[in-house]
Amino acid sequence: MENILEVKNLNKKYDNFELKNVGFNLPKGMIMGFIGENGAGKTTTIKAILNIINNYSGKVKMFGLDNTKDEQKIKEDIGAVLDDMFFSEILTPKDIDKIMKGIYKNWDSVMFNNYLKEFSLPNNKVIKTFSRGMRKKLEIVTALSHHPKLLILDEPTSGLDPVARSEVIDIFQDFIQDDDCSILLSSHITTDLERIADYITFINDGEIVLSKTCDELLEQYGIVKCGEKEFKKIDKKDYIKYKKNAHEYDVLIENKKEFKKKYNVQVIDKITLDDLMVLMIKGVK
Amino acid sequence: MIGFMKKDIAMIKNNLKVLGVLVAFYLIMGLFGEIDMSFILPFMSIAIMISTFSYDELNNWNSYAATFPNGRKNSVKARYLTTVLIILIMTVITIILSLFISYTLNKSIDLEMTFLNMLAMIFGTALVQSFMYPIIFKFGVEKGRIMILVVIFGTVIVGGLFSSVVDLSKILNFLGVFENHWPLVLIVSSIAILYISYLISLRFQLKKEF
Amino acid sequence: MELIISNSSDVPIYEQIKEQIKTKIVTGELKAGVILPSIRTLAKDLRCSVITTKNAYEELEKEGYVYSIPSKGFYVSDISREIAREEQLNKIEALIDTAVEIAKLNNIEKKTIEQMLDILYEEDQ
Repeated sequence: MENILEVKNLNKKYDNFELKNVGFNLPKGMIMGFIGENGAGKTTTIKAILNIINNYSGKVKMFGLDNTKDEQKIKEDIGAVLDDMFFSEILTPKDIDKIMKGIYKNWDSVMFNNYLKEFSLPNNKVIKTFSRGMRKKLEIVTALSHHPKLLILDEPTSGLDPVARSEVIDIFQDFIQDDDCSILLSSHITTDLERIADYITFINDGEIVLSKTCDELLEQYGIVKCGEKEFKKIDKKDYIKYKKNAHEYDVLIENKKEFKKKYNVQVIDKITLDDLMVLMIKGVK
Repeated sequence: MIGFMKKDIAMIKNNLKVLGVLVAFYLIMGLFGEIDMSFILPFMSIAIMISTFSYDELNNWNSYAATFPNGRKNSVKARYLTTVLIILIMTVITIILSLFISYTLNKSIDLEMTFLNMLAMIFGTALVQSFMYPIIFKFGVEKGRIMILVVIFGTVIVGGLFSSVVDLSKILNFLGVFENHWPLVLIVSSIAILYISYLISLRFQLKKEF
Repeated sequence: MELIISNSSDVPIYEQIKEQIKTKIVTGELKAGVILPSIRTLAKDLRCSVITTKNAYEELEKEGYVYSIPSKGFYVSDISREIAREEQLNKIEALIDTAVEIAKLNNIEKKTIEQMLDILYEEDQ
């Protein structure tokens, strides 16, 4: 499958944080959920991909083009929603329409206005009067209305109520009805991603911990809950991490089927992305 | 680029009420004969542009704009072109208001001096903005505020002293070399400093970490 | 096409999709030659990922229920009903097998089992 986005060996140093060899691929037509704690490096990675930070090393390719050499060409085909970065609040959606017409070659006023109607966003009220959900929706439809091929979204659902979240997810699924289009979407709300994401990339402390299809992940990984006696019997190489609770051990394993066979266990709990994140971050080896 | 300018203009337009109040205040002061109307030009031009910078900063517009094609460059370019446009508009407004006031107060007006005075004001405005913009692009309005305040007050005080102590005609004599070329010199130097300032700001913006 | 997917079920979503489509084929709700919704449309309707629906369709294809025409989509195959029936019959046979085993073990005669079947069938109607 052709990749729409390739990230290789991304390194970036800050005083108290660094990205370490971050790399992953996003195939065409797919949604990738980019998960991790706050401060794990999601936003920094996204900013490096968009080339809005400097002094990072590594390679980023989109549509087969280099993100620095062909930056302007690439950016015609990208729609970005970043946390807390947008038009000034004293502007109206109508202003945005006029402005964007002068910025993107492919800006589609008809599409933009249809979206505004669809989400009942008033055309000539200033953004200041919008609720958080309305604002986020406006940011998303603004990112969509120049027919981008790749959507890059940093925490697009954070702070939204369930209804707004569900509407926003509908927009994303509409967007990838065209199989040339892909979405990279970071979030720490994993329930949104569990269903719609094709791929999950998990970053922890500046490093990519895993990057896999979501189905594979939810099907193969599992949590074994057991007492101390049973835990002692488990071979170290058969689990990824464990966490000791008051009365039991939560053991994260990578292959449910093999584990069941080897240790003759009947039931292994289904894993959620939340469990995975907690155990990966808080668990020990 | 057009889009970026449209954005600046839309923001100014949406903020017109506040700006109108400021002008009206000026006008009233002028009618009482308290203020030289020509100061509307620098004050309003600078106030308008600074408020545009602040509104942008409030929502991290510059970071957002960096995700657009040619976003970094065009947001700087547009800001300078809008500045020129605003100076021109404010010049027209200032001239109209000055004429209106001298008419109401039955003051005679020296057209040639007014014209030169306006050009000097344009130059002064361009000078202040040329100092300020690179500072703002580098540090932002918030952090750059102290530096900017120094620049503004410095200019106002120097400007005030300058016009009260020194007789403009004396300087004209002093700079006799430029006789008859004054308007040209002021216009060219205004454009030149703005351009140099633009290049510096652009450099800051291209290297900026968003 | 109406499918009901449970998020909390232990059965993976692609498996749920697969089984429900099979059922629709057996009951005749999906007839041979009918085109299935595209993987992307179905993903959107069910609010699941594209890879999930793709997996479900590809497995159905492997098992012979559907066939695909590149850049057109997935169609219900002519023999899908037989395959589906066959599979269901196999399932039934296996269950009856167990039932008969238990019956024999406990000396319960065939007649009683037949009566039970009759009653169960009538109950359903």
